[in-house]
Amino acid sequence: MKYIKFLILAVTGAMFVSCDQDEFLNPLPDSAIVADSFFQSDDDVLAAIIGIYDAVQGVNENTESSSIRFNRGVQLEYLLTEHRSDNTRSKTLEGSRADFHRYIVEPDNVQSEDYYQSMYEIIFRANNVLEYVDNADASNLNRYTAEAKFLRAYAYFNLVRLYGDVPLVTRVAGSDEKELLFTRVAVETVYAQIVSDLQEGVTHLSSGHKARASKAAAQSLLAKVYLTQPTPNYSGARQLCEDVINSGEFSLESNFSDVFYNELNDEIIFAVQYLEGNPDESQGFSSEFTSYSRQGRQDGLNIVNPNLAEDFIAYGGNRTAASYSAFGDDVNLPVPEDAEVIKFLPFGSDISDTNLPTYGDAPSNAGNDWIILRYSDVLLMHAEAIMAGGDTADSSAIDSFMEVRVRAGFDPVGDRPAVLTTNLLLLERRVELAFENHRFFDLLRLGVAHDVLGAHATLKGYTSYNIRRLLLPIPSREINLSDGLLTQNPQ
Amino acid sequence: MKNQFNIFKNTLVMVFCVLAMMLSVGCEEAFEFELPEAGSVEDTVLPTADFAYIPNALNFRMIEFNNLSTESIKYAWDFGGGDTSNEKDPTYTFAAGEGTYPVTLTAIDGNEASTTVTLDVEVVDKFVPIPVTILNGDFDGGSADWKFSSFTGGNTNPFNSSSDGSFTNYDGSDNGAKTKGAKWTSSTSVSAGSNARYAYQAILVSPTLVDRTVKYILEYEYAIKTPAEQAGEAVGGNRIFSAVLDGHFDDGADAVASTPLSSFVADEVKGKTSHTTVRQEFTTNASGEVAIMFSAETAVDCYIDNVKVYAAD
Repeated sequence: MKYIKFLILAVTGAMFVSCDQDEFLNPLPDSAIVADSFFQSDDDVLAAIIGIYDAVQGVNENTESSSIRFNRGVQLEYLLTEHRSDNTRSKTLEGSRADFHRYIVEPDNVQSEDYYQSMYEIIFRANNVLEYVDNADASNLNRYTAEAKFLRAYAYFNLVRLYGDVPLVTRVAGSDEKELLFTRVAVETVYAQIVSDLQEGVTHLSSGHKARASKAAAQSLLAKVYLTQPTPNYSGARQLCEDVINSGEFSLESNFSDVFYNELNDEIIFAVQYLEGNPDESQGFSSEFTSYSRQGRQDGLNIVNPNLAEDFIAYGGNRTAASYSAFGDDVNLPVPEDAEVIKFLPFGSDISDTNLPTYGDAPSNAGNDWIILRYSDVLLMHAEAIMAGGDTADSSAIDSFMEVRVRAGFDPVGDRPAVLTTNLLLLERRVELAFENHRFFDLLRLGVAHDVLGAHATLKGYTSYNIRRLLLPIPSREINLSDGLLTQNPQ
Repeated sequence: MKNQFNIFKNTLVMVFCVLAMMLSVGCEEAFEFELPEAGSVEDTVLPTADFAYIPNALNFRMIEFNNLSTESIKYAWDFGGGDTSNEKDPTYTFAAGEGTYPVTLTAIDGNEASTTVTLDVEVVDKFVPIPVTILNGDFDGGSADWKFSSFTGGNTNPFNSSSDGSFTNYDGSDNGAKTKGAKWTSSTSVSAGSNARYAYQAILVSPTLVDRTVKYILEYEYAIKTPAEQAGEAVGGNRIFSAVLDGHFDDGADAVASTPLSSFVADEVKGKTSHTTVRQEFTTNASGEVAIMFSAETAVDCYIDNVKVYAAD
């Protein structure tokens, strides 16, 4: 017992020197080891690729209802795109989802933050696959690489159009690599990366898939990138569209409604799949698009603006009845005020009684796919590429344009324009692709966003609108994490 | 009792000693308040100044500026000539009109750090005249859209519909056969008094303002029968009158009595369906409300077709 003093001294001393503060507070992430040990075989790489699609698919708000960011993936995209165009709006003015259509999105908007982070989640998972892709069979190496790069390009294409200059990360980066993670890169450089990633997809992806990246999906997306990039490549876009058209793999559905309710049909080039009733694989947006007999968590989102309904009545043809529907007293108005999107009705819906619509057993766990690319979009891009920023009388451009119109019930001779103008093309895209998150990007790409949306905002009394609102603010969470490296868009 | 007092005194002394010691060695540092500046990081992200501009839709001189500066909260604009603004998105009118004007924007942040940019603002008159559509300009619709609503002491019928119009379609292509036209005869000439026919259509054009003269062209085709086809000649020759009227008129009598902006006499005699094209230039009035009117003084049949109005150049 007389050594107790020495024992105490020794123990105390040991405690002082053993506590490596740095390691204790900053442990090495276990995940690094997990990733290192996970990729052992071709199947593991394939599983990781499927994991990228999981990031695109996003988490249903009805499964994880916390309103903080939760990687909603593509499920919230309509807020950032359709709501910010003249197409649709939120029924209520409460909550951050109601900020988009009024152009008052601030850097702390949680849905914008979620989308931004979701895109970088896709990019992270793609980069992760690329890091370990060597574990795949040699015969699959190029295809897997191209598939990951396709999805990375898809995410960057969304980011660069919505946020402008963004950090360009093309490898797995540690959290201490702040310079790489938070330095904004010029739009032109981001586009160069997108183009090179997609060109690899055009070369190495195979045909046949619709719910996974295919050669045609890479061609179509690259065509859209060529049309959108700061210096458009119209001839390249035209060639790509013609490759897709001439492949013979795709055709328009004769019945417009089948495009949406006959999943992975001949018209679909690339879609994100969901499973009805499965909380982990279903989507929540179908229920959010209801309002009169509300099924979603909000009072009704993507509510159709009367201005869009007017264009549908004039130019929609038989697409009108398959795109939106009015309910209750709204039915009696010549132009409905609060019509609802019906392209994505949950399984089992019956809206034939407009006073008593029903939406099946599990509307909040809907299985409707989200279409990213479809054939009519390619046909209209083909016309747009030939127009090359102006009007055209080129017959092949007008042929493609008319193929879409004729399916909608217009006369191939009587309704054929002698000259295809930007205005006609925009109108056609508006009614053909309404509620599929194209309109905002179409207006930007064709250079009329400020004219159209400025007039729309004036008409609707959205006084916060100005030209700066065409870019979303960089989420403040990212700026806070960046230690002052990440700069904000003009506010 | 004394013992108790001693204990109390000793305790008190002890307490004071401890207090004194604590105060002297006290851990002031540990409890010191952090000053607001402590731990703050220098703002290394400086403002960038940039802007875009859009001319007002109604006045090309009025430029609406859109501030694209970042990391800044205060703005100083210099439009030249001593005119400045501290607004974020000012609107400024360059009274001198077309030209290139250097505009300077200084973007200032909360630490008074600033960046200045000077960009040339191009003030350009991108005036686009209002396009005019003449209703029933090819007369395929008979006399529709060409009538006065009333005509004191006259006739609101504008002309005789005719199948002897031009061979040319309204879009300029060759029809390969006659199209419909408008016809005047001796009995519908101006000299026929209350039976005279006047074709009238009100149109809206871009007005001529103090600083901008706007010219349009009235175009039409006409044909007058040759003596071989039909004998007779009105006093002063067989001819067609085309006029651009200064304003819109409800009553044909007022229109005929008014002083036109421009008038033209078409008198080339080439024969039926051998049409001559007239391009009659006129300067618009200040209201932009003008009208076109046709009439004829003729002893033989004459014809008008394919009436168009478009901006000169």
